[in-house]
Amino acid sequence: PAVELPVYRKIRLKIPQPTLDDPADDWGRLTRATRGETGIERLSVSLNVLRDLPRVLRDAGWDVSVALAEKDTWQGVEIAGVEPFPSGRKYYGLAVDIGTTTVAAELVDLETGRTGGARGSFNRQSVYGDDVISRIIHAEENPGGLEELQKAILETVNDLIKDLAGGLGIGQADIRAAVCAGNTAMTHLFLGIDPAYIRLEPYTPAANNIPAVQAGQAGLHIHPQAWVRFIPGTASYIGGDITAGVLATGMSEADTLTLFIDIGTNGEMVLGNNEWLISCACSAGPAFEGGGLRYGMRAMDGAIENVRITAGGSTVQYSTIGGGAPLGICGTGLIDCVAWLYRSGVIDRGGSFAPHTPSPRVRDAGGGKEFVLAWSGEAGGGSDISISEAEIKYILRSKAAVYAGIRSMLQMVGLPFEAIERVFIAGGFGRYINIREAINIGLLPDIPVQKYAYIGNSSLKGARLSLLSKSARDAAEKIAGKITYLELSAGNTFMEEFVSALFIPHTDLELFPTAARR
Amino acid sequence: MALTGLEIFKQLPKTNCKDCGQATCLAFAMALATGKTSLEQCPHVSDAAREVLDSASAPPVALVKIGVGEKQVALGNETVLFRHDKRFENPCAIAVSVSDMLSEIEVYDRVAAINGLVFDRVGQLHGVNMVAVVNSSEDADRFALVVQTVAAVSELPLALLSDDPSAIEKALAIVSAKKPLVGPANLANYEAMTALAKLYETPLLVRGSDLNELASLVEKVAALGWKQLILDSGARSVGKVLADQTQIRRQALKRFRPFGYPTIAFATNVDSMQAVLDAGIYISKYAGIVVVDSVNRADILSLITLRLNIYTDPQKPIAVESKVYEILAPGPDSPVYITTNFSLTYFCVAGDIEASRVPGYLLPVDTDGVSVLTGWAAGKFTAEKITEMLNSCGIADRVSHRKLVLPGGVAVISGRLEELSGWEVMVGPSESAGIPAFIKQRWGA
Repeated sequence: PAVELPVYRKIRLKIPQPTLDDPADDWGRLTRATRGETGIERLSVSLNVLRDLPRVLRDAGWDVSVALAEKDTWQGVEIAGVEPFPSGRKYYGLAVDIGTTTVAAELVDLETGRTGGARGSFNRQSVYGDDVISRIIHAEENPGGLEELQKAILETVNDLIKDLAGGLGIGQADIRAAVCAGNTAMTHLFLGIDPAYIRLEPYTPAANNIPAVQAGQAGLHIHPQAWVRFIPGTASYIGGDITAGVLATGMSEADTLTLFIDIGTNGEMVLGNNEWLISCACSAGPAFEGGGLRYGMRAMDGAIENVRITAGGSTVQYSTIGGGAPLGICGTGLIDCVAWLYRSGVIDRGGSFAPHTPSPRVRDAGGGKEFVLAWSGEAGGGSDISISEAEIKYILRSKAAVYAGIRSMLQMVGLPFEAIERVFIAGGFGRYINIREAINIGLLPDIPVQKYAYIGNSSLKGARLSLLSKSARDAAEKIAGKITYLELSAGNTFMEEFVSALFIPHTDLELFPTAARR
Repeated sequence: MALTGLEIFKQLPKTNCKDCGQATCLAFAMALATGKTSLEQCPHVSDAAREVLDSASAPPVALVKIGVGEKQVALGNETVLFRHDKRFENPCAIAVSVSDMLSEIEVYDRVAAINGLVFDRVGQLHGVNMVAVVNSSEDADRFALVVQTVAAVSELPLALLSDDPSAIEKALAIVSAKKPLVGPANLANYEAMTALAKLYETPLLVRGSDLNELASLVEKVAALGWKQLILDSGARSVGKVLADQTQIRRQALKRFRPFGYPTIAFATNVDSMQAVLDAGIYISKYAGIVVVDSVNRADILSLITLRLNIYTDPQKPIAVESKVYEILAPGPDSPVYITTNFSLTYFCVAGDIEASRVPGYLLPVDTDGVSVLTGWAAGKFTAEKITEMLNSCGIADRVSHRKLVLPGGVAVISGRLEELSGWEVMVGPSESAGIPAFIKQRWGA
């Protein structure tokens, strides 16, 4: 990867010695030389550097290695260290994606741009609520609630850092910079900022663009004076993770009209190109991340990710991630499952079970019917893995929200589906979403599958880019300022689109000319 | 054609400076496209862009104002054939006629009656908007006298209807400060009429014998330099009026300039029932002013209500009225269910209560038409709001118990709701489909 002015770097400076003709102070000499070399105007210094500066400069014979730590656009650059040249130590940067459900971190060598390792784990805030709203309410209603949430996420990230640094055999103090990308609520909770008004009309966060803070102050276990930056967001429900995603796709630099969809709990999507960007959050819910379903799970070993069902629904073929006994079903598996249940005649277009299906896999279970995907004998957890009618309808609501979000955005700018030249899909799913089946159930618009690409964790990618490149950081700021947020709860468009999309694939079949007919 | 947001955006400076009060230039462009802001809000737009946008965003139907002050009537600025495409902008004015054949005292009584045609609809006052003085006597002095009386008794804007320019001139000499609508200008008198309208700067009614004559007449009046116009195609049978109104609006939206003005229609059938029906059609179909002869409150109330409904902005959440709904004739022992007033939610729950065959009361709390979990997330479906509805809707007098069923999705608020309301809260199923099973097992058990 190209490294072009990372957030933290070292430069060699030969500083002119003071003379009687030029008796300027040491700090003045240092800044003048730094400015001359880099052109940076706004320079500050950390106190511990200043304390030792006279001695260090003279011991080094005025040939020094100067560490430049970029804080952010407004705060400028800090001289974070001065050592005799050459400096022997390696320095690392941390990229973090603070997801509502999953947190991912990556260590990057700031000199070479090489990834030193990446790790992911569950966000420990989950014990206080599965979604951002429950957590905001937890912070509001419980004394010390905000502190609990902050502690939980810090522990999650700090454990990842420990793990990563240990794996590379480096000390945590060698990590000299961090860039975090998270949705607006996550960023607030991470820093212990009051999140109450994010969820209340007219949905105003404390800050979309948060100034850099020092790791020691934030409670992040890297070098305590390292600057922690946050990728700027746009609105309460379009945060820095989406800015990072747009950055990773490069869509804001291209003429190509691109649609970027993060099919996660918040269902954020961005449409646009180098001229304009419009976004919305369709609140799809966690279904495609396996949330809210009895046998739903994240894309990890044991998750059913491929499903085929024969006509009438008597036999099921599936494959799992890792190839072992199934423990549950992940997002890609769910999409397959609904598509095949419909195709095999087990459910109708509205997601209801057909009245008389001969399949032994369809059975009554308390509140309604369910379909057994895997019998207890073959499943790893010892009980049948099934999907109920209520769960199918829940998935249909999620897919309808995504589709309606896309339609609402297009309507707002007055463009047809055909105008979309590329679609990038990000999200928790399985390893790869089956685009064809996603179109068949009406989750994604029926445009040529070649236009689609699955890009995985774009938020983490964007954070890493920001660590390594000044132009990426500038681009992120421009993106966040440029995104026009479409409030879906204003007006009827979204609601009408949502209701029309509650069917497989849609009430208007003309919108899905190539979708498989039963 | 009106420009789309994207087309407008291309002309803007793209600074995203927020000086216009919008977050981005694109947001501003979209607000412009839907008529929610004006180009003046942007201090940085170039002159070249302003020229392009001004001509392209000029409304297809001109805005015409009649009268002055608080009761001024604004008509036009319409942009659609069907309200569901965007919205109808300016409610049509209802004008009541006063003939100058009436005696002084009759005029006085009639105008007093017109002034009283004000009604309370959903907490707001709505009334008739104009008095149309008709020169039936064909006597200019008589007309001027009656106009003077009407103006003295009513603050409503006036329409002075006479095809005799001298009658209009005499009346205008008295009431021109009130900026009344005058006319009709027709093929025979349009030069004199236009000169009067220009002199006194009042809106002018233009009447053709058919659409073709109307179009050429408007062009002649416009060529004389007056564009504050109200159109009348001359049609008087309801079918013909409907056809002409539709043509005028349709052509105006296609930017046929001569028809780019509000219209007037006369619902003056001697059968008052028929007149109300005719007026209803004109209200629904594009009329700017509907002239009626009736001062009967029963006739006018239905027109006022219809106008209010038709001109309601349809871009609002789809919601049901927040009140107690009875399902299957419940009694004092029947269960009470709580939900939100989002119509989709309401109908799901109502359908499933019906499917349970157990009669019940359904209370949709006003959440601005959002669903249960959306309302909860946005702080619109809270223990406080539910308690407020329980206390104000009168349900306590209709049931003998104090138990309610809360949607399972918001089980977390049950404790606080019990505390606040004093009602026993039963947490129901997450899905309303579970209501039949739930109520059989739990209610009365």
